[in-house]
Amino acid sequence: MNDPRTPIPASGIAQIGVSVPNVSVRGPEVPRTIEALDPVFTVSGLSVFYGDYEAVRGVDMTIGNREITAMIGPSGCGKSTVLRCFNRMNDLIPGARAAGKILYHNEDLYGDHVDPIEVRRRIGMVFQKPNPFPKSIYDNIAYGPRVNGVKGKMDDIVEEALTKAALWDEVKDKIKQNALSLSGGQQQRLCIARAIAVKPDVILMDEPCSALDPIATTKIEDLMQELSRDYTIVIVTHNMQQAARVSDRTAFFTAEVDAEGVRHGRLVEFDETSRIFTNPSDKRTEDYITGRFG
Amino acid sequence: MAVLSTPKSAVQLASKGRPLKEHLFRIALLASLAIALVFLAMLIVYVVQEGWPRLDATLWENQPSIRRPETAGIQSGIFGTLWIIGLTALMALPTGILAAIYLEEYADKSKWYNRLIELNISNLAAVPSIVYGILGLGIIARWMQFGFTIMTGAITVSLLVLPIVIISAREAIRAVPPSIREGSLALGATQWQTIYRQVLPASVPGIATGSILALSRAIGEAAPFLMLGAATLVRFNPEGVWSSFSVLPIQIYSFITRPQAEFSVLAAAAIVILLAILLLMNSVAIWLRNRYQKRW
Ligand SMILES: Nc1ncnc2c1ncn2[C@@H]1O[C@H](COP(=O)(O)OP(=O)(O)OP(=O)(O)O)[C@@H](O)[C@H]1O
Ligand SMILES: [Mg+2]
Repeated sequence: MNDPRTPIPASGIAQIGVSVPNVSVRGPEVPRTIEALDPVFTVSGLSVFYGDYEAVRGVDMTIGNREITAMIGPSGCGKSTVLRCFNRMNDLIPGARAAGKILYHNEDLYGDHVDPIEVRRRIGMVFQKPNPFPKSIYDNIAYGPRVNGVKGKMDDIVEEALTKAALWDEVKDKIKQNALSLSGGQQQRLCIARAIAVKPDVILMDEPCSALDPIATTKIEDLMQELSRDYTIVIVTHNMQQAARVSDRTAFFTAEVDAEGVRHGRLVEFDETSRIFTNPSDKRTEDYITGRFG
Repeated sequence: MAVLSTPKSAVQLASKGRPLKEHLFRIALLASLAIALVFLAMLIVYVVQEGWPRLDATLWENQPSIRRPETAGIQSGIFGTLWIIGLTALMALPTGILAAIYLEEYADKSKWYNRLIELNISNLAAVPSIVYGILGLGIIARWMQFGFTIMTGAITVSLLVLPIVIISAREAIRAVPPSIREGSLALGATQWQTIYRQVLPASVPGIATGSILALSRAIGEAAPFLMLGAATLVRFNPEGVWSSFSVLPIQIYSFITRPQAEFSVLAAAAIVILLAILLLMNSVAIWLRNRYQKRW
């Protein structure tokens, strides 16, 4: 936290309004290249099915470049489901299917020519429970670059990733030790470092702090702020203070029961975090953030 | 401290005496364990005692002979057994492990044919070994004309242990937490990279243990070799996979059925050797398991 490289304001909300990015969808004259910036994701009419069950219905949202977008909402409303569409992790679940469109830098993420492996290399993910590989710290970080055929000095890549994840000082003397010997919070930062090591464009985080104590949580939050200068971050969280502290924009999801009595996840409101938490336009959002909801 | 003290009557931690059932259950467990261990110990003591006079270098230096039981050895049997095990390992382990990978990582369990395959592998594990002997005789020795050779024996035994290898490798692969696979795939690794670099290394202890136990079973088998013409008194060591051969269980069986007392001593000594090979393999399995055991 005393890192000189981290002149971050204590509150994420303070930044809002300064860093409103251009999130309008670009016209067709923009070259359709995957390196293009702003917005990173444009989601329109996204519905996700598990077999016949429509878990999430009709989501429209945009994820701005180098922003932190938080997704909040009650359990089972489809936050993880939507998040896992962004790097096509849902492809791995038998029977899971996405309808609608997700544009990633104006490229259809679910287009026929798109290779999910390449998608996941660019769009990294950190999971709820730290899941380091049962290998050394070094090998954990080097794994991503190695499987992606990255040439270059692996030692430097490892050090850089660990430094970015604010873990280098704590582990530099035991880099060859098994990663499972680290504490939970260190393991989670290791997983973040592991994601950074492949030089992704986006980092998705699914409740990355839910298994951590408050101090470790603060470290991860500081880290997210720091990382948002170079990366686009989407985070699912149950901790509303966390969403308020770290994110630029917040998406509030909830589960709605349709005419046939089936529950579907819906995006209720998507706005700047400061507005969601001070002046939400939907009653349900207000009820949820003030704790009057389920 | 006075604040924390509780009136004595409030907490009852004193032992009320364990119910009798609890004790009886414990005794029953210990007794079953004792029975198994006592019998094993008796067996080992008995064969070592019986075979002691012949447990010397002549046993593995000499070849079997009917005319001089007092100096006859079992060298061809030892070599035959080692050849069969080696070749079986080469054939059954890669096949079994690859099959297990397919079933665990690739097979779509909602497809009827994958479920049929799974069911049949469990069934195959229960097929008596003599049936495999008949299969080896009819198809491999006769129809494929591989004859009564090491190759025929090893293929037959490979088929015999394959289901066990597949089942134990699947168990080991399934024990690798899905979060490890997700973590790898989320970094842009392909499915094969994930299997090869994460799942397999993590399941090596389990796969190795299962494989060695499966091979141990093959070592002890006599029935299929009876069908496959593993001759008793082969007086030479196998020179390759197309040699005729003998194996220890067959030699033991034939020594025991002879009238002379020297042959039963020889049989006991051969059993000690067979047990030694088995124990050696099992200790390798234990060592591998402890050495590479992963914890999550
Ligand atoms: N693999 C799956 N197969 C079938 N249904 C699923 C699967 N994963 C999630 N679902 C269903 O989809 C809905 C949304 O689940 P999801 O995990 O996205 O919720 P969530 O908002 O992340 O909840 P939580 O806050 O508890 O993590 C739920 O009704 C859930 O039961
Ligand atoms: Mg979730």
